[in-house]
Amino acid sequence: MADIEKTYLKLARINTGGGCSNTSPAMLFITLTYLICVLSVPLYQPQKLIWLAAYPVAVSEIEGIGYGKIFIKSLWILPLVFFIGIFNPFIDTAVAFRIGNISVSQGCISFISILIRGLLSFQSVLILVATTGFIDIFNTMRKFGCPSVLTTQLLLSYRYIYLIIDQAVIMKRAREARGYGRKNYPLKMWGQFVGQLLIRSSQRAVWIHRAMDARGFDGTMPTGHSLTWTSRTWVWLVAWCSVIICLRLIDFSSLIKHFVS
Amino acid sequence: MSHHFIRFTNVHYSYPDGTEALKGISLTVTHGERVALLGLNGCGKSTLLLHTNGLLLPSEGEVNVGDVPVTKNTLPVVRRAVGMVFQNPDDMLFMPTVYDDVAFGPRNMKLPEKEVDRRVRTALSAVGLKGCDDKAAFQLSGGQRRSAAIASVLSMEPDILVLDEPSSNLDIKARRNLIDLLKTFHHTIIVATHDMEMAQELCPRSILMQDGRIIADASTSEIMQRI
Repeated sequence: MADIEKTYLKLARINTGGGCSNTSPAMLFITLTYLICVLSVPLYQPQKLIWLAAYPVAVSEIEGIGYGKIFIKSLWILPLVFFIGIFNPFIDTAVAFRIGNISVSQGCISFISILIRGLLSFQSVLILVATTGFIDIFNTMRKFGCPSVLTTQLLLSYRYIYLIIDQAVIMKRAREARGYGRKNYPLKMWGQFVGQLLIRSSQRAVWIHRAMDARGFDGTMPTGHSLTWTSRTWVWLVAWCSVIICLRLIDFSSLIKHFVS
Repeated sequence: MSHHFIRFTNVHYSYPDGTEALKGISLTVTHGERVALLGLNGCGKSTLLLHTNGLLLPSEGEVNVGDVPVTKNTLPVVRRAVGMVFQNPDDMLFMPTVYDDVAFGPRNMKLPEKEVDRRVRTALSAVGLKGCDDKAAFQLSGGQRRSAAIASVLSMEPDILVLDEPSSNLDIKARRNLIDLLKTFHHTIIVATHDMEMAQELCPRSILMQDGRIIADASTSEIMQRI
């Protein structure tokens, strides 16, 4: 809660950086390819994931976003990924290898693997949003046959997430203004806070929906500029998909080891 | 077929919780009129405005926009004719950029993208937001958000402009700009407001509401004297 306002502004800014460059339409497919490759890496081979990190590093630098920013933002996902994998070291205790007297369990390796793939996946999604923007992502999805019901739902969900955060920020400010520095509140009060938040958000949602209706909304989100697939888009798509698939299939660690030995 | 007048005939409306917000409203606003809706909070001004655009349909009675009765079937036609600016501009700005917000209506009207672009640029220029098209709503000031909300309606080139408390939360300069802008709109305008000065300057006719009923319908100067 303490940094909710900062997080809100940061989240909003990721999307406003959305491009519409002629490589944007390809980014959705490149990201999908990347996610499939990252998730297909066996759980006990995290070293193979290291090579796949080349994609977010290279693309964020080429697109002028900067990998540092993407990396820092990707840390938001860390608590969730941490929670998903934290029990692995306790469940899977079989020894994978030893470093001196310290034995490293398979659970530890899978835990690290989950952390890395979580970070890399989130980084690729952040890059997608930053280079393409939500609207163009949904436009691309629709253009390639994704039902408009689904894309409209996604677009509205995206809008309503901001709405809920917006309301949370207003309520947080109101509470702090009369809180006299108090930081800890009982669970009951948090329950009331969440309840009020949902009621207020749904009221705002009704007004937003009315505003959309008043301007002729018929259930389908109108799309503006049509996404143009230029030769550069195709080159970008083929090149990056090839690189990602090579990074996934070729065991660069073994190759380097072979050349060194 | 003219859309430039609105007629309410014995309109009643009750909210689902049972609150009776409109109690037999009969009223006609003719082409080119500028009308102010005055009254205390909760007297039914906003509810009345929501009926002009078909966002609420009467529990009893009839609303006509020109020759067209406002029903579920006629909503697309009615909404092309009546542009509504809500009290809170944030409710109207839901797209990633100001441009997309202003283009939302024309795109729903299925206009060619070239025409959409022309309308968006004209509307943004009219409200003084030229150059803000790529900004997100949260990057605008309160006055600019209000202007963007108005632009999002002007881009639909409505015959009738309906505004719910447009001058609330505006500073003196933004309020002045708003009044000057509304003066340039030559079609019908209905404004619900607490801003008496704005009503006097902008609207020759005023309607005073109380408890869901019209208690006075006269020239603004007469209404002012009564209040």
